[in-house]
Amino acid sequence: MPSSQPLPPKEKTLFNRILKCYEQKQYKNGLKFAKQILSNPKFADHGETLAMKGLTLNCTGKKEEAYELVKKGLKNDLKSHVCWHVYGLLQRSDKKYDEAIKCYRNALRWDKENLHILRDLSMLQVHMRDLEGYRETRYTLLQLKPGQRASWIGYAIANHLLKDYMVAFKVLEEFGKTQQSQDNQYEHSELLLYQTDILVEAGLHQRALEHLEGNKDRIVDKLTWLETKGDLFIKLQNLDEAEEIFTDLVYRNPENHRYLKKLEEIVNPSTLEERLQLYQSVTTVFPKADSPKFIPVTFSTGSTFQNLIDKFMRSQLKRGVPPLFTSLKPLYSDPEKVRFITATVESYISSLESCEKFSEADEETEPPTTILWTKYFYALHLDALKEYEKALSVLNQSLEHTPTLIELHVAKAKVLKHLGDIAGAVACMDEAQSLDTADRFINCKCACYMIRNDMISEAEETASKFTRENISVEEYLKEMQCMWYEVECANAHTRAKRFGEALQKCHEVDRHFSEIVEDQFDFHQYCMRKMTLRSYVKMLKLEDSLRSHRFYFEAARIAIKVYINLHDEPYKPGDRKTIEGESSMSSAELKKLRNKQRRQERKKAAQEEKRKQEEKANRKKQQQQRKNDDEGDTKKEEEFQPEKLVSVSDPLDQAQKFLVPLELHCYNRFDTHMFAFQIAERRSRLLVMLRALLRAQKAASNGDLAELHFCKVRFAKKVCDTNGVSSAVNDVIGKHFGNIYGDVGLEEFNQRFLDENNDSLAHIYAGSKAMYHLDNAKKDEALLKLLNFSTETKNVTIQICEDILTSLRSKLVYGQVPEDFLKDFTEKCRDFFPRACSFKPPGSTVTAKVNGIDHCSAGDPTNTGDIAMAEISMESSKADEHKMNADQNYDTSETIENHCSNGM
Amino acid sequence: MDNETQEKKKKHETESAADLERVTDYAEEKEINVTDFGTVLANLGQKSNKAKEKERELSQVKILKEDVELIMTEMEVTKDKAERVLRENKGNVVEALTVLVNS
Repeated sequence: MPSSQPLPPKEKTLFNRILKCYEQKQYKNGLKFAKQILSNPKFADHGETLAMKGLTLNCTGKKEEAYELVKKGLKNDLKSHVCWHVYGLLQRSDKKYDEAIKCYRNALRWDKENLHILRDLSMLQVHMRDLEGYRETRYTLLQLKPGQRASWIGYAIANHLLKDYMVAFKVLEEFGKTQQSQDNQYEHSELLLYQTDILVEAGLHQRALEHLEGNKDRIVDKLTWLETKGDLFIKLQNLDEAEEIFTDLVYRNPENHRYLKKLEEIVNPSTLEERLQLYQSVTTVFPKADSPKFIPVTFSTGSTFQNLIDKFMRSQLKRGVPPLFTSLKPLYSDPEKVRFITATVESYISSLESCEKFSEADEETEPPTTILWTKYFYALHLDALKEYEKALSVLNQSLEHTPTLIELHVAKAKVLKHLGDIAGAVACMDEAQSLDTADRFINCKCACYMIRNDMISEAEETASKFTRENISVEEYLKEMQCMWYEVECANAHTRAKRFGEALQKCHEVDRHFSEIVEDQFDFHQYCMRKMTLRSYVKMLKLEDSLRSHRFYFEAARIAIKVYINLHDEPYKPGDRKTIEGESSMSSAELKKLRNKQRRQERKKAAQEEKRKQEEKANRKKQQQQRKNDDEGDTKKEEEFQPEKLVSVSDPLDQAQKFLVPLELHCYNRFDTHMFAFQIAERRSRLLVMLRALLRAQKAASNGDLAELHFCKVRFAKKVCDTNGVSSAVNDVIGKHFGNIYGDVGLEEFNQRFLDENNDSLAHIYAGSKAMYHLDNAKKDEALLKLLNFSTETKNVTIQICEDILTSLRSKLVYGQVPEDFLKDFTEKCRDFFPRACSFKPPGSTVTAKVNGIDHCSAGDPTNTGDIAMAEISMESSKADEHKMNADQNYDTSETIENHCSNGM
Repeated sequence: MDNETQEKKKKHETESAADLERVTDYAEEKEINVTDFGTVLANLGQKSNKAKEKERELSQVKILKEDVELIMTEMEVTKDKAERVLRENKGNVVEALTVLVNS
């Protein structure tokens, strides 16, 4: 339908020029042409021109003006598809996708077959996962433009996503027929593999196999071809063919556990001997491969196991493979295997010490590095068995011997951390870091430990060795989406009760996830054109469950905790300076602390100033660069303000926002439902509490039962205390009450729990909290129970003691707790964990000296590492880094292909 | 940092910017020939009406406004969701709540 305000030819040409300028990002020229039309009083109200002017302005960062103009344009010409389309584009640029979809739909009412709008609409629909709508739009596009390949592929993908596999397959099949003359082999190959995937997903294994066979010559990704074919043969129970393929694959890569395990599954050995024989035969062909030697260690037992593990450990120790312990870790769930490993390693050490051989009967003598690596392994082994003191003495011995081996320092830091001596751990890590300042992994570890010891500014200084120069560390790490760092900072801020800062970090992590979801937008069009459809569909599935990532979970956990805290104790401006713990300090200490704070503030202000100036300079530079191509987009996301975050009026609603993705993606985690319970409890939503309780019960493991008990008691108490519950709600609760509590009274229920579990501190703590919760008069009795643990008691960990201490101090769990009791409890903890920093008396300076070995002070810039360091330690550190990297640290970019930033 | 590496970096940055430009560049695709487009689409068939029938059945269940509101406040769900659960449980509010609690 033509516009209701048609332009004469001259203005029409000008208008087309505006469109062209917009497409080519020549915004200034575009505005010039718009002005030429609008300055003519006859066309001053021309809707489409106004709208286009607004859209162009939006690209130069003038959002408000843009909205005004576009809306005005639309009002002047409601029947113009251009105006609606422009409004949709504006909304899209503002990430208001639902609104944008509505706008596009309106635009299509006035121009049903506008390809441009249909394409834009389909992108938004798949982005918002309106799959039915997506299929409809793609269908229209296919009808309108059957000559374009994107039309076919888009329609096929839409059907695939809706699980209409056969339609998807047939569409691609028809499309494939038109693609005979190949100019891009790889694209075609990907398309064929994508078709196979669709058949496999549809469960049509025979057809998938035929498809693979029929297109053997056209599929260039031979590895995927083989793997898929092998899997299909297994599914079709054609084991002879499957064996052949997986043997082939093992020949290609004998270290691939998946291939080896599949091969075993196919051969299906009936006895242990046959099973061992299988791996033995692989080892004969590939004597250097580790995997076929390691896998038998996991399933064998008794003397076979002893034999195999002995050989395996010897060869690895001889070569000095640092992650040997990491490889063996899966075995530690079997106490018998652990016992044998202990005995073996101890015998190695004693005979290596006496005669430089693994055992006295050996002929070959070992080089001195062997005993070093054996002791290193032994220390990690002891650490895993929680024999921390013994591990520490082994490490100290080795360090006296070889003070330059970085691994030893890292291991020592880890052991000290487990002993609760986080300050000592930091000193060790810093020493390790100073031995190789070019090692990014150690640098990250060191920064991480520093934050755990509440040394954020020191951590920044350490991290700055690897960040870009003209930007603050915090800014840089945010830009790089370095989420482990932000999560650790959030934890540290929470500990120090700097809730605003903690929330700021949590929101930043949340924003990173939104950005990653956002980033998929470009791929809807790109992947379709590049035919990387297998990866595209995988990416869509990944994005759907993105927030199941542990970094999101951690950030959400902290945010929910903080918001709940803010609900219980609302934030009062001016609170910031009186941090808990200060009251117990002497005036001199307080003065010192204030001075330090002031210094830090001044430093921060100076940094801020510097940053601003740099930003200014940068902007100037950028502006110069953009002289030719107009202004770039100056849109910038609003920054999170700690002060604002901490003074929200609806903390529970905010907490709920963080909870929603957890309930969706982390349904199997106990904690998720605990958060839901706590929020619902504060909102007095009995049924939501009940639902969370039931879900938690399902997800609970043994370690969670104590906390679950406390929640049960709180729920029952809440039910009793709530008046005016509707009968329907009462009925529903009544249905579950018997199942949860049996037929005893609440106090009795709690007492039974305490009696049955008086050998576990976690349970005692839960029971004690419940006792006070049910009857505040029983405070003394409840508190005394907390002292009722000994070396015989289970679950006495630093973590739980710290938790108890925090709750004793907070007044929210037990009300005001007498100073004397706090002292008694802390002292008792100190007896158990003499090294732990948390239980040291206030004011005792934390020593960086551990066991007589001096550590360099944090951030000492002069210590740049020992050049004469043994080469072996350098190399091994890299190998270790690789292995350890897999489980912690560095950026999260691994989650998504396009996020390959090198963030710390 | 010395000049050379900086220059290199700069060069690299412009290169990657150009690459990025190429990625997002819109290129008109070349036409392909489709012989019997009509038959293909005809073969694909349409979806059955089963789902629609179920919807119609559900919409005939009578529900009370106060029940919907109770479900909305107690379970913190949207109006649509509350109505749907209530209809699926034939308008029995206790049943509907039980289903939600056990979900």
